[in-house]
Amino acid sequence: MEIDVKKKQENELVFIIRDSDLSFANAIRRICMMEVPKIAIEDVHMIKNESAMFDEVLAHRLGLVPLFSDSESAEALLIPSECDCEDQCPKCSVSLVLRKKGPGVVYTKDLSSEDSKIKPVYDTIPLLKLMEDQEVELEATARLGIGMDHAKWEPTTACAYKYYPHITIDEKCDQCQKCADACPRSVLEFDEKNNQIKVVDLENCSMCKSCVRVCDHKYITIGHKDGDFIFTIETDGSIPPEEVLIKACDVLSNKADKIITFCEGGN
Amino acid sequence: MIPVRCISCGKVVSAYFDEYQNRTAEGEDPKVVLNDLGVNRYCCRRMLISHVETW
Repeated sequence: MEIDVKKKQENELVFIIRDSDLSFANAIRRICMMEVPKIAIEDVHMIKNESAMFDEVLAHRLGLVPLFSDSESAEALLIPSECDCEDQCPKCSVSLVLRKKGPGVVYTKDLSSEDSKIKPVYDTIPLLKLMEDQEVELEATARLGIGMDHAKWEPTTACAYKYYPHITIDEKCDQCQKCADACPRSVLEFDEKNNQIKVVDLENCSMCKSCVRVCDHKYITIGHKDGDFIFTIETDGSIPPEEVLIKACDVLSNKADKIITFCEGGN
Repeated sequence: MIPVRCISCGKVVSAYFDEYQNRTAEGEDPKVVLNDLGVNRYCCRRMLISHVETW
């Protein structure tokens, strides 16, 4: 198996996996989305809410706010099920306080966390609006969790792969250029120097087959390379995409280890 | 209030809401602003374009 990184940004990672297989790529994708732990607000204790927004709506909005949960920030935090406390304790939870008087919009920057590292990723998320003399006061508890339990614990936003496209143009092609005009993503281009259709941006091909449909003699065919995938991981900023991938691989290898110990007669 | 995240993909679109509103109010083309903010997918773009702030 080979991996080439195609694009690397703060919150987005695009890479190509070669000589792998579908089940493996899908396992990685599903674990990235559903089983990589992240911190999110779970309980909200409303002390005062005089705004027009209902308590539960505000609590839901708070839950969806991404909090920094990379290994450095969340290092000391335990998963609630692995913690020895009964309900919650400082070892497995972080508390955040919101106190604001109107008028004005309350943003995530107004949330103050007891842990300086575990704070909202974005400061500009509007939470609620307060009119003159209205006040909001609440205490929220954030915990680690996984995407399987609630979407707020999903570290990824767009996490997907597609087949690596493979375009073949027959030698008999009459250079009518219809396929190049039909392509919505400008994958094909007519090369005037050599008088032939050229594939200029293969990885951008979405395999829509617009070119195949427009070709009168079926000289062009679109297929995919078996075992090659273009993988995209985009995160909400709470965990860098590389770390999501590393943690997903850890989860997968732990699962494999469990099967091995079972087969060897252990428990 | 704008939803915190894109309803379809989960991108945190509300973080860009104020900037989008201010810049489009000044007469900038929404398309340019959205591209600039890195809101690339059409599911996220419709969240900002179609939102009406009522009060």
